[in-house]
Amino acid sequence: MRARALVHLASQNLRADRRGALVNAGAACVGAAALVFFLALGIGVGQAARRMFAGDTRLVEVVPAAVSLGGALGGGQLDEEAVARLGALPGVEGAYRRQTLRVPVAASQPPAGVRVNWPQGFTVQVPVVGVDPGLLASDVAKGFHFEDAQAGGPIPVLASRRLLEVYNKTIAPAWNLRRLPPGLDLVGLQFPVRVGYSIIPLKTEDKVYDARLVLVGLSDRVPLYSLAVPLATVRRLHAEYGKADPGYSGVTLEARRPDDVPTVAAAVRRMGFGVDEGDRALAERVGLAIAVTAGALALLALLMTALAALAIAQSLSASVRARTREIAILEAIGATPGDVRSLVLAEAGLVGLSGGLVGVALAFGAALLADQAALRFLPDFPFRPDTFFAFPPWLFALGVGVSLGAALLGALAPAAAAGRVDPARSIS
Amino acid sequence: MISLRHITKRFVDGEEEHLVLDGLDLEVAPGEFVAVVGASGSGKSTLLYIAGGLDADFEGEASVAGRSLRALDADRRAAFRNEAVGFVFQSFNLVPALRAVENVMLPGLFARGGRGAPSLHALRARALEALSQVGLDAKAERLPAHLSGGERQRVAIARALLSRPALLLADEPTGNLDAKSGESVIALFAGMVARGTTVLVVTHEERVSKVAGRVLHLEQGRLS
Repeated sequence: MRARALVHLASQNLRADRRGALVNAGAACVGAAALVFFLALGIGVGQAARRMFAGDTRLVEVVPAAVSLGGALGGGQLDEEAVARLGALPGVEGAYRRQTLRVPVAASQPPAGVRVNWPQGFTVQVPVVGVDPGLLASDVAKGFHFEDAQAGGPIPVLASRRLLEVYNKTIAPAWNLRRLPPGLDLVGLQFPVRVGYSIIPLKTEDKVYDARLVLVGLSDRVPLYSLAVPLATVRRLHAEYGKADPGYSGVTLEARRPDDVPTVAAAVRRMGFGVDEGDRALAERVGLAIAVTAGALALLALLMTALAALAIAQSLSASVRARTREIAILEAIGATPGDVRSLVLAEAGLVGLSGGLVGVALAFGAALLADQAALRFLPDFPFRPDTFFAFPPWLFALGVGVSLGAALLGALAPAAAAGRVDPARSIS
Repeated sequence: MISLRHITKRFVDGEEEHLVLDGLDLEVAPGEFVAVVGASGSGKSTLLYIAGGLDADFEGEASVAGRSLRALDADRRAAFRNEAVGFVFQSFNLVPALRAVENVMLPGLFARGGRGAPSLHALRARALEALSQVGLDAKAERLPAHLSGGERQRVAIARALLSRPALLLADEPTGNLDAKSGESVIALFAGMVARGTTVLVVTHEERVSKVAGRVLHLEQGRLS
């Protein structure tokens, strides 16, 4: 039997039993809609979480152990020797030193060229960390350099990519500051600062002077609330202010592959150092929670689809029983048992296909409504996504495919029963 | 056209076995109009189903339209029914959900022919032509429920005509019709015979057997 003839006849049969077809399509539709909705939610929230906790999956942040018995049992200070040993670990591609600046830096004026209603007398303490330039080289904007400027020149800094969002959603509303316009290119902005000045009493150094920071790039490798300067700048300032060298505050290890990270982290711990899980652990916990929740909901949706398949199986079985004589007539005029099986499967296929298409459309519509509701009722927070849903093309195909598959699965037994109808016994 | 030799058919009902056809022989020449008459339950319909390839569970040799039916598997028997045989039943056996023209199109939907098979459009045109031959082209879009008994039987005949079969098998074709409708059906059969179609009709109505070229009596599983 040709496919067009099969579809023609199947659609005629469905038209004849509109109610049954609608019920079956509805069952398939609900399963597909739930599956697509929950998976789209899981993917969308996962993507939002990744934007919120953006990080390089190949990095391991090494910190001195919280409690150390010194070099005898390994660990202790993160000095040059320790950095060399860390850099030589299997799976490590690079070791980049970090050193927190222990000279206070404060900003009492807004960046030059940016219209911000900076409050009178408002001073922000700026946490600064020095890093090996190699760690951030790929994030330095074209035309800028990330290397220590000699005294008097603007100090190159990199900021976290997420800082603008956090500023706009948290800092600006809290301090009643003007928000920065979206899409603003911050690279090249200069910030007037006072080196040696602290807002904490008795922490201001004897020597305080004005300097300028110039933003040379944005990076996910810079801690959210710090500015990164070249390591050489931190060393220079420490020397200038007579600060003793306590070793590095951290070492960032770059693994060759994300899969190497657990092995590298374990080796670091064996060496007696700590691993700052920081954003990564949070991101992993959030990601796991999202994956588990989305997985459970998707499982529920699959269960609903399985129930839909059972409902379709029951309904089609009843339909085949009721149409035994009709099937016998078809066989009398030339339908093979295979034609009859195909016809029942085609009816189920059309039901599953239409149910799946409507289900996917329903899921899409429900997602739009949910986004509208979120926009209206949820407070604005950093990295709040425009949508909590993601609909990759394969998800549409999956929704329709699962609905179609469930309908066909439910139709297997009724189709087999239809193929066994004996025309000679059933027609008279 | 039909050659049935030593056909035996048994039905088993619980522990009881019923012998319906007992070594029956039948020869029907091409273009012949043969009526088989007999009492209810004499096995007339069974004989028709065996000759039409609907029932393959029998003993003996059955050769119809050049095909040995016992040698055919289920798919080939279906192809045989589709290409060589047209069935007309007492209770019309139309698909209630399909319009008259769609019922007539049905054999064409199951036709084998791969790419050479007619399109749905062409099939519809042929179905309308068949309905025209039985005088029902004006009611082509009606559902069977909206047709009279005689009209339904004419739709069934148009369906049997669609594949232009060499053999028409009719099982009590006028059993549910009034006198006038029965006459029109009989006239249609006569016209088909005149055009070379072989017709084997089982009936217990004299008005049908009167127009047949040969009348056979089925008693105790044998023809006489």
